[in-house]
Amino acid sequence: MQAAPPGVLIANSSVSTGSLPTRQPSRPVPPTRGPGDPSGGTPDPPAPRRLPTPIRPGAVGPQDVALIVVSALSSFCLVWVVFYQLTSLTGGLGFLVCWYAGFLALTWFGTSQVIERQVATDRVAGILVWTAGLLIIGIVIFIVAWVTYKAVPSIHWSALFTKDQRTLAASDPNLLNHVGVLQAIVGTLEQVLMATLMGVPFAIATAVYLNEVGTGRTARLVRTVVTAMSGTPSIVAGVFIYSIFIFTGVLHYSGFAASLALVVILLPSVTRVVEEVLRVVPSGLREASLSLGAPEWRTVWSVVIPTARSGVVTAVLLGVARIVGETAPLIFTAFGSQVLNANPLVHDQGALPLVILSNTHAAQQVLIDIAFQAAFVLMSIVLILFVLARYFSRTKSKKSGRAQPTEDDMMARYFLPIPIERSPE
Amino acid sequence: MTTYATTPPPPVPEDVSGLGHNRGTDFSGEAGQIDADGVHAWFSGRLVLAGVTLTMEKSKVTALIGPSGCGKSTFLRILNRMHEVVPGAQLAGSVRLDGLDIYGPGQRAMETRRHIGMVFQKPNPFPAMTIAENVLAGLRFSRVSAGDKGDLVEASLTKAGLWKEVKDRLGELGGALSGGQQQRLCIARALAVKPRVLLMDEPCSALDPTSTLRIEETIKDIADEVTVVIVTHNMQQAQRVSDYCAFFLAEENLPGRVIEAGRTETIFGNPTDQRTFDYVNGQFG
Repeated sequence: MQAAPPGVLIANSSVSTGSLPTRQPSRPVPPTRGPGDPSGGTPDPPAPRRLPTPIRPGAVGPQDVALIVVSALSSFCLVWVVFYQLTSLTGGLGFLVCWYAGFLALTWFGTSQVIERQVATDRVAGILVWTAGLLIIGIVIFIVAWVTYKAVPSIHWSALFTKDQRTLAASDPNLLNHVGVLQAIVGTLEQVLMATLMGVPFAIATAVYLNEVGTGRTARLVRTVVTAMSGTPSIVAGVFIYSIFIFTGVLHYSGFAASLALVVILLPSVTRVVEEVLRVVPSGLREASLSLGAPEWRTVWSVVIPTARSGVVTAVLLGVARIVGETAPLIFTAFGSQVLNANPLVHDQGALPLVILSNTHAAQQVLIDIAFQAAFVLMSIVLILFVLARYFSRTKSKKSGRAQPTEDDMMARYFLPIPIERSPE
Repeated sequence: MTTYATTPPPPVPEDVSGLGHNRGTDFSGEAGQIDADGVHAWFSGRLVLAGVTLTMEKSKVTALIGPSGCGKSTFLRILNRMHEVVPGAQLAGSVRLDGLDIYGPGQRAMETRRHIGMVFQKPNPFPAMTIAENVLAGLRFSRVSAGDKGDLVEASLTKAGLWKEVKDRLGELGGALSGGQQQRLCIARALAVKPRVLLMDEPCSALDPTSTLRIEETIKDIADEVTVVIVTHNMQQAQRVSDYCAFFLAEENLPGRVIEAGRTETIFGNPTDQRTFDYVNGQFG
């Protein structure tokens, strides 16, 4: 075909019947000047080309929605009759579970009748997976909303982050004006920070050993030990540190002792996740690095870990999330305190989980409020840490889109017109 | 971690080390010549390569051809001590770079690999580094100062035939390039450390024909400055790029060995061995 002006395509069906040869030598002219144009002869402006209506094969249609809705409704009715009327069972949860099971069964049955058995099985599996996902979201939203709902109305923002609990007296009606959880915030941050600083390098080094260096029996032994360690009940970690360091008088009850107990918990979980992440790094990258004359430690440091960077950050986040709410190991180590103690090395130190532990069962409503406030602060800290860590782990990979000047001064050269002396050709 | 022994089972070679006359660790000069002498290789005790003696001439392109599993890649990896990275790998024989035994006492693998670079079958730029950082990676790893890094990046990328395409996007990540560009980036990265020999293990097998041609042009361009040893399954490619050719073959239940080696025209035009003739004319393998 010749390069025709846009409007001609529409008239294709009428043109193609024998009139094509006459058009062949003509230049592509604007459609207004079509002297020998046999398609009607009128110089009509280019009509908009009609696109076919797009469809999505496999999209959810009215029939599918109807099947699901009908299944849900009839399951509800059926289970209601059976559950409450015939068997006189009680309880909402049991009803919900039965309703869901009936819904699945009816969906499968209905779909297999209306459409096909394989489609029905596929759909039921899909519903199960969707349910799991939605359930998780629901649980998280519920927890966050519940804690927020219970905590926020009683919070005095001016006191929460600036006052400790040294003036705590449950009988005081204006208690929350001058009592906060500052000592616990400081304690938790210090303990978690120290545990992370001690535990994460250790964990990454162990993972590197397991994946890059160790071979055979030794590595297998280490891996088994790490796995066993991740099964250590957290209270055992606390007792361990207590009996080794505090009972023997080496350390006081202190934030540092608490962080040691937290390391015991942090270490195996971070190690295992980092190991899995490192294993995914293609071995071709290691070979490429070695073939450039890099020593092995360089290969790990400059190629393997940066490649796995985002996964390593995730591993660290999981570890921090694991320890930030740990309560049991702190009981024997940090011990808890109502007074601000910013020095983690000596004396009892507060921690948010300990505040929650000691106040939740209190008789006075104001103490329960404090427990919920501590829970709220704890959740917020975790959230902020996650957002920060995600942000910092992603800044580097954003560069892939467009060329941008980097902080590296080596790169800055390319934005200056500097002549190259040596011609390589 | 690496289990490399110079004295494995049966055919114990006469000279594993100590053949190099100058024992110093100092390699010098531009392109280098490699002499492999009686090279054997084992994987977990199984002999896969036996008695390969081959000279790879300075500033020439030598192609290693042969069917799969005949030990070409293993031989190539022995030439820059990448063989010993594989667990359970052993070898015997000597490999000399300009007369210096790279397996001799006191020779370090890192030093050797800096002089004998390698390009792999699958393009493998470092994904966490930008294009420029990829080119400079070798220098950074071995803590060699490079003089002007900007010049080196441009020179290396130009040699690899990639400069014009990427000069405005040096800050992008290496993974953002197409497959053929990535492979040329890997070549630039290998060239940036100024090796004397460049080993290429089927560098084009994952690439489209256009990229393949670009890389073949690159090989011809760089051959003056660096000796090239290339493993390829593509007969036309071997004919197009190489000056010398070595035909490897592993006959039934036997380890791989060199059947015939010589000038490329001879190997393809007038081989002395019938098996070579059959292979280069596509009659088996």
